Amino acid sequence: MKRNKLIALVLVGVMTLSALTGCSKGTGKETSEPGSTGKTEESGAEAEKTVDLEMWYINEGFLEVKKGGALYNFYKDLTGVGIVSPYVEWNGGTTYQEQLNLKIVSGEMPDIFLPVNGMEVDLVKNGALLDLTDLLPEKAPHLWESIPKEAWDVIRSYDPSGKGRIYMIPNVVDYPVSGGIIRQDWLDKLGLPMPKTQEEFVNVLRAFKTQDPNGNGQADEIPTGGRQEARWMDHLFSMYGIAMWEGNPQWDIYDGELTYSAVTKNMKDALQFMSELYKEGLMDQETLLNDKAGWEGKIASNQVGVYYHWAQTTNQKAESIYNATGAKPNLVVMPPISAPGYEGFYTEQKSKGIQWVVKNTDDQEKIDACMKVLDAYGNKDLWQKFFLGVEGMHSEMVDGKLRRLPDDKKTMENLLLQPGTDISTVESVTQLLENIRTDDTSWSVDMSVANLAKMPEYGKLIAGNGIPSSVYEGHPDIMNRTLYVEYASRIITGEYSIDKFDEFVEKWNASGGEEVTKAAREWYAKTQQ
Amino acid sequence: MKESIKDRVFQGVITLILGILGMIALIPFLTVLARSLSSKVASDMNIINLLPVGFTFDSWKYILSDLGLWRAFFISLVTTVIGTMLGLMVTALMAYPLSKADFKLGRFLMVMVIITMIFKAPVVPYFLTVKGMGLLNNPLVLILPHILSAYNLAIMRTFFKQFPVEVEEAAMIDGCGCFQILYKIVLPSSKAVLATVGLFYAVTIWNQFQTPVMFIQKTDLFPLQLKIRQLINGGSEFANIVAVNNVNYTENTLSAATVVFAIIPIIAVYPWLLKYFAKGAMLGSVKG
Repeated sequence: MKRNKLIALVLVGVMTLSALTGCSKGTGKETSEPGSTGKTEESGAEAEKTVDLEMWYINEGFLEVKKGGALYNFYKDLTGVGIVSPYVEWNGGTTYQEQLNLKIVSGEMPDIFLPVNGMEVDLVKNGALLDLTDLLPEKAPHLWESIPKEAWDVIRSYDPSGKGRIYMIPNVVDYPVSGGIIRQDWLDKLGLPMPKTQEEFVNVLRAFKTQDPNGNGQADEIPTGGRQEARWMDHLFSMYGIAMWEGNPQWDIYDGELTYSAVTKNMKDALQFMSELYKEGLMDQETLLNDKAGWEGKIASNQVGVYYHWAQTTNQKAESIYNATGAKPNLVVMPPISAPGYEGFYTEQKSKGIQWVVKNTDDQEKIDACMKVLDAYGNKDLWQKFFLGVEGMHSEMVDGKLRRLPDDKKTMENLLLQPGTDISTVESVTQLLENIRTDDTSWSVDMSVANLAKMPEYGKLIAGNGIPSSVYEGHPDIMNRTLYVEYASRIITGEYSIDKFDEFVEKWNASGGEEVTKAAREWYAKTQQ
Repeated sequence: MKESIKDRVFQGVITLILGILGMIALIPFLTVLARSLSSKVASDMNIINLLPVGFTFDSWKYILSDLGLWRAFFISLVTTVIGTMLGLMVTALMAYPLSKADFKLGRFLMVMVIITMIFKAPVVPYFLTVKGMGLLNNPLVLILPHILSAYNLAIMRTFFKQFPVEVEEAAMIDGCGCFQILYKIVLPSSKAVLATVGLFYAVTIWNQFQTPVMFIQKTDLFPLQLKIRQLINGGSEFANIVAVNNVNYTENTLSAATVVFAIIPIIAVYPWLLKYFAKGAMLGSVKG
């Protein structure tokens, strides 16, 4: 009897414990990859002489591109080449990479594909990728010219043989994509001007907190904030001239040398500033707990005064605030603010990663087909068409104009070729925005267009633009910024005093930061030649 | 008497704690259910907890009108039924001879089987082998790799070993051949093990994910689990220009509805199968 009781007790205890530990663990990690916006595809031929190509790209739930299907025919009309693309589970890139590797070892590499996690370097070393250096100017002149020379130079620096050959098509953007976004309507309501100095900025935050700008009679406003892992609050870092990409510290010149921005004095001062904001309640007290849904829910609930996000999608945020609360917000990109003694800017990176690589082959017909696809992809006259996709599937005729429909995974095939966002300029993205304008959404689309137009003057191209992930080789923790996130989070919430920052720098260097810095500087020296 | 009051208190406390834990286990499910029945606004504002906010069936209407989902459901159902039957047949046919002590090769074969259980095939050769059999993008890939599992074979063999030899001898004297003994005598008396092993096969095939991910790249051939994964995809952050949707569901509410849709068959069937699961655990623990 006693024994039974004991067993029962132990079992219940174990269950309780496991339930508790289960609850305390497991914050899902989201990965955002700067650099994988576009979609592309190409495929193959019909009975006649069309060549079929297999293309692999991110697919987050849309239908595959089937031979003979609507999108297949659409691409055939635009490129002269048939394109098929099987459904490959993306899963943040992990499953995609596994599947791609299987395909490669079984000798069936797709003809054109998006490489992930730096796999392209090994492929080049093994001679698996097509050398595009001479082919591009000759056979894909449109693409050759659409992508700026500096971007091609970065690609040349990736050639592991050091000969500067081009094996990859980059994903480029020629303006800073994101910035701090402020509720201009709240400023207007409180009679405040756009903040220009850090002091003014803090005063605006105080006013947002105390003067009920959303007018619901409750002090529920969150002046500013961000998300877990100290992400999506770059506007606070940017005041200190910190190169930062959606919460990922970047490389730039500090004290005359290429340095990881997380280990600079700028970072120390920024963290101190943020810990003060946090203490005063001007930053969301849940900042370091917010997941994507949590933080975006607060923004949509008409509670957040300043947040960090993409300028070109302010319309989506504005619409969700409007739909949820009926308030028509005016979201404006806040010009970068400089903290005393620093020069503030929003980080700009022209090379956001690799968009495409082409399989090496001797088959001249295949090579020509690939180049045809790449040429059409780079042809600005076709960008609108690529964006609009198939009429009746991705877009519909409204008042004599084609309009892109909202995404519907049930019916839409995966649009692989999206040059308008893969090679984005303010002009190309503005055009895309025009394609989603309707009478109801005109007000919010205007907002995105206006914000986008402002971005070029707010950015600074950082020196670490296009730094290859190979500099982190052997140091995954540094690439995943594990140590940085831990210290930054604890300093912001006040758990650690700012003095701990020096300990962080020491530990970072000791745990591989020194080697990574050395590799990064070597790469930088190479690009400067 | 004193003892029994103590006992009752003890039992009460245990029941209470287990009850609370049970409730806790229910909460995630309720949250998902609530989200699937909530409006777009509520989902955008992230204000849904245990009860739906802005009650609507729109997410359900959307996913249930997706022919692809029903097709995937059908594919999973058919492959599970066929796969389970084939699996039971093949397993029984192999387990029976292996259970006979006078089958000289049996010991060697069993060792070979156990080896496949301990040393799993590495992914690449496995992929190449299965692909070489023409099973890429072939619905048979949902069945064939699963119809003989070493673990299930071991369970069944153990069970057959305990079958009284006298009964078989009697049948033989009455003129039964080996196959007749198996089909008319042994199998009809082995319903418990057949149910258990059948259940294991059914669950494996119904829940399979890794195999179809590797071998099925046509959305038309997706089994349910893959279709669900396709529908609840998303969450990556790309600065794409997308048209604003004036519908009353979001990716979140749709995911929730899909997840509930997928759980319902299991929840509906599980209570009836529970006893076999328990039995299965017992069978596995008896070494022959």
